[in-house]
Amino acid sequence: MSDIKDATLTPEVRRLHKGMDEVWGNPTGLRALTVVNHTTVGLRFMVTGAIFFLIGGLLAMLIRTQLAFPDNDFMSHEIYNQVFTMHGTVMMFLFAIPILEGLAIYMIPKMIGARDLVCPRLTAFGYYCYLFGGIILASSLILEIAPASGWFMYTPLSSGEYSPGPGSDFWLLGITFVEISALSAGVELVVSILRTRTQGMALHKMPLFAWYILAMALMIVVGFPPLILGSILLELERAAGMPFFEVAGGGDPVLWAHLFWLFGHPEVYIIFLPGAGIVSTLIPVFAGRPIVGYGWVVAAIIIMGFVSFGLWVHHMFTLGIPQLALAFFSAASMLVAIPTGIQIFVWLSTLWLGRPRMTLPMLWIVGFLIIFVLGGLTGVMLALVPFNWQVHDTHFVVAHMHYVLVGGMLFPLMAGLYYWLPQVSGRMPSERLGKWSFWLIFLGFNVTFLVMHWTGLLGMRRRVFTYDTAMGWDIYNLISSVGGFMMSAGVALLILDIVLHFRFGKKAPQNPWGADTLEWAMPKPPTAYNFVSLPAVETRHPLWEKPELSRTIYEGEHGLNTIDHGRRETWGSDALTGKLRETVHLPSNSWWPLFSSLALAAVCVSLLVRVYWVAAVAVVVGVVLLLRWSWENGAHPGKAPEASMAPTEPPLHYHTMNGPGVWCMSVSHLANGSLYLSLLFGWFYLWVVAPEWQMPETSPLSMPLLVAAGAALTLGTLLLAKVVRRLRRREGSGLGLMMHLAGGLGTLQTLLIVAVMWLAGLAPTETAHDATLFVALCYVLILAGLGAVLCILQGLRVGYGYVSVEAPLEPVVVLRLWYYSLVVYWSLFVAIWVLPTVLGGGA
Amino acid sequence: MPLALLLAGCAGEMSILDPSGPAARHQFWVWWAMLGVSVVVALVLFTLWLYTFRRREQPERTPREEQRIMLRWVLGGGIALPLVSIIALLVFAAPTGRSMLPLPLPEGEAELIEVVGHQWWWEIRYPGENGEPDVITANRLVMPAGEPVDFRIVSADVIHAFWIPRLGGKRDMLPGRHSIIRLEADVPGVFGAQCAEYCGAQHTNMLLHVEAMPREEYDAWLAERRVPPAPREGFDEARQAFGEHCAACHTVDGFPEELIVDDVTYDMVGPNLTDIGSRPTLGAGVLPMEEGAIAYWLEHHQTLKPGNRMPPHNHIDTETLQDIGAWLETMEP
Repeated sequence: MSDIKDATLTPEVRRLHKGMDEVWGNPTGLRALTVVNHTTVGLRFMVTGAIFFLIGGLLAMLIRTQLAFPDNDFMSHEIYNQVFTMHGTVMMFLFAIPILEGLAIYMIPKMIGARDLVCPRLTAFGYYCYLFGGIILASSLILEIAPASGWFMYTPLSSGEYSPGPGSDFWLLGITFVEISALSAGVELVVSILRTRTQGMALHKMPLFAWYILAMALMIVVGFPPLILGSILLELERAAGMPFFEVAGGGDPVLWAHLFWLFGHPEVYIIFLPGAGIVSTLIPVFAGRPIVGYGWVVAAIIIMGFVSFGLWVHHMFTLGIPQLALAFFSAASMLVAIPTGIQIFVWLSTLWLGRPRMTLPMLWIVGFLIIFVLGGLTGVMLALVPFNWQVHDTHFVVAHMHYVLVGGMLFPLMAGLYYWLPQVSGRMPSERLGKWSFWLIFLGFNVTFLVMHWTGLLGMRRRVFTYDTAMGWDIYNLISSVGGFMMSAGVALLILDIVLHFRFGKKAPQNPWGADTLEWAMPKPPTAYNFVSLPAVETRHPLWEKPELSRTIYEGEHGLNTIDHGRRETWGSDALTGKLRETVHLPSNSWWPLFSSLALAAVCVSLLVRVYWVAAVAVVVGVVLLLRWSWENGAHPGKAPEASMAPTEPPLHYHTMNGPGVWCMSVSHLANGSLYLSLLFGWFYLWVVAPEWQMPETSPLSMPLLVAAGAALTLGTLLLAKVVRRLRRREGSGLGLMMHLAGGLGTLQTLLIVAVMWLAGLAPTETAHDATLFVALCYVLILAGLGAVLCILQGLRVGYGYVSVEAPLEPVVVLRLWYYSLVVYWSLFVAIWVLPTVLGGGA
Repeated sequence: MPLALLLAGCAGEMSILDPSGPAARHQFWVWWAMLGVSVVVALVLFTLWLYTFRRREQPERTPREEQRIMLRWVLGGGIALPLVSIIALLVFAAPTGRSMLPLPLPEGEAELIEVVGHQWWWEIRYPGENGEPDVITANRLVMPAGEPVDFRIVSADVIHAFWIPRLGGKRDMLPGRHSIIRLEADVPGVFGAQCAEYCGAQHTNMLLHVEAMPREEYDAWLAERRVPPAPREGFDEARQAFGEHCAACHTVDGFPEELIVDDVTYDMVGPNLTDIGSRPTLGAGVLPMEEGAIAYWLEHHQTLKPGNRMPPHNHIDTETLQDIGAWLETMEP
């Protein structure tokens, strides 16, 4: 075994390590808040997620205590309703998603041989959004005004009329805040995986874990915006009285259910995929052989990603969905068993063909298999519509869902925890304490939830705060409660184990499990820059085929092994082949992420307490901060000291026209597009389905003004496209002027949209029709304003020399926004003006 | 003996495993069949999985052989097994839901009963034919046994769900949109029903008492409710007080208009009380109906069912509440 300890460092290499430490190292004290490094922020994500797990677990224990006996008055119904709502909310939004993102943020660059994620400041921003959103949500529990409408927040129960208190607002605002965090992580994980793999790591050579995370991140990007839109609409309904979900005003509560489950079902797979990714990583290591059927697994991941977006209706089988749709969604829900089955049997054949070792991480994997398969089997049962009609909203579903989520996510996560602990701490996990906690959690879990299927079949509903002893449910509930406390004891033991581990664990060897992936080639505990030199990797199992890599990397024998320029650099490579394309210059520590997220937190809190002028001020401050943050970009001296010392090959990314920034913009537009499509879906859904929908005979919007605004947008886009074409030909004359001109056209479009809204005389608090139009126009207004501001800033940056023929990346990024804006604007024009005019209103 | 124990364990007024109608019985058998297959699949899979850790000797295999073994597993277990199970489920089990759809019947129209969900009680309406008055009652659903009944369901406020576990599956009750669910009780009997969609503070205490009667009894039951109730002798003070404190929300058919004090503070609909004396429970399942129960409920309802929509009666003295209660107890056809 080749080890870092065997490395012989020449004075030169020593200097390289020292230089790297200076450039990449974390500051201490207050400045630790500026840290953007993925290892540090990833750990922060995971530790925060673990704390929320304990809070969510505590809530679960409160629930089990209340239900342990019939007619129990341990909690009042008011508290109980808050507790179960928050248990679901905390576990889903504040534990499961963030801790998995944290794991991905921590692990992905290490596995693909990069030094950091592609947008380190966005990582930090995402963390702060998560932290503040989580604190805001959790504080509602302490104040005893937590949301109490269930984690799915069905309207009209969550609306102003039936939930007048601030509980629903806490949920809507807090969750939206946390989702900003998920989206930022989603975007940069996608781009990092696609564009910063080390030299030669083609897509089909990348570790399976990266495939899983790529799918998860893409699903976050596409899956979260429907809920963000839903939350915005519901908050507008609650705060401003716009009747999107109110039947009398022409809205429909079922629209909320659609938007929620459009997010909610992919969410289940967003949680499961990283879990399965851990399983697919660990099984080959402990079977001592490569996974058999890598291609099958990749195919299964992709199928799962797509199919999971076609399943949302299966949460709504009892809601009165047309028969044909029921049949379709029922079959689709069952079909998802196929990609799951493929993965399970690939794992089984890998074990079959290998020589599996039973270690502590493997024990958790076995626990995963048993629990998850049982959850999957009840899942197929639930996909059967008539059976679903019986057990929907009973404890049977509660049991099923915990089997899937705890089995599919918590058990793999624990396996991963023990597997990667040595990577983080440099110590080996204890065998005895770890096994004890496994058995307590595994048995406790099954005692709790296996019997709960039966309780459900005996007719016990979900979300009831007590039950009558005449129902015959007493003993089963008591068993479930005892099991729940067993599981908690296991969690307590696990925490003790981890704490002791950092103090007493045995020193770990370089590659303790004999793993194949690059994260085990790093020094332990990890250095901030991961690898002092970046190796070329052309195999799926770098450490199996070249065990000396840990040493040679450490001795600085591979690429990007200079630091005199003082830049944080990693490689940018081709998305498909992994061929080198550019050197990505990563930004360093900064206060901007913290400040910007603080401004957003101020928006959130002031909306909660309904002091709208403060919210407005905070929005402006937030936008200014974000723009100021974006100013330090590209060739700005704050970002690029000594830009003149740029290496020639491969060039720094802002000297190219296809840097990761362009990719980030495109992936962000996937999210943005998903939001827009959800909005269009809402418009057509209400138009077609809402029982009291009112549409005026003629559109209230002025066609000439709409067309004029569109014309300004189109001209601006054409102009920008021309700018980019000229930059490609290295023609830079009049660059600033053209940028300002495009900015002017954007401003004109913005003003015209304002005029349309002004003249339309909409009454958004009266009808859902006007309210939806209002939101749609606001959306294009924001896009137009943003396009204008960015162009004007580009014009200024040309003046400062940050954007030029030498640094042509940014106009390409801005052009993407304008293209997006163009498509959105004209399609919206068709949807809200042309179609109503052609089809006639009044319907 | 164990079988008897198991079956006894399945009983219960809300138990899916104690079916009493065709829809529920289908699902009962579907469940046991699915359980049987699932147990076999799970056990085989777990055994194989654990067995891989026990084997020590491994034959040398070429990569080609390994691929073949993997393909066999993946195609057989990962694709064929789920596909066959899904097709079997869709072919044999999916049609079992058809009995709950309001399809045309050979013997003519099914009996139609309307159920309206309120926070947190049930309004039951029997639409009249040919100018007959609607019969409106609450928290007690009487239906004919041995024939399909169409329930036309809707909500007056938030989303509820209508569920009689022993008769069949549930359906959500939406505000502003009616849906129909068809259920049938094999034989006369009493069944539990409950709101299955979380609907706020007292979701737990939103229970419905269901009684299936032979057709003739059902018709008689309905007929006696179509006749306006005769005014009760005495109870003048009670009626006065009812008009003053209760009549803004609660209807009693035939109650004299002039006694009703319109209280604009409460803009709500409470249960119609015309036949309250004949109902088996109070507060949607909170209290059994017995002598003095109504007065007790009137005085303590916010402790018995906290957060329910009826305002507290602290401003009314106990004696008056007892008068009202005593009068209401006589309210049966």
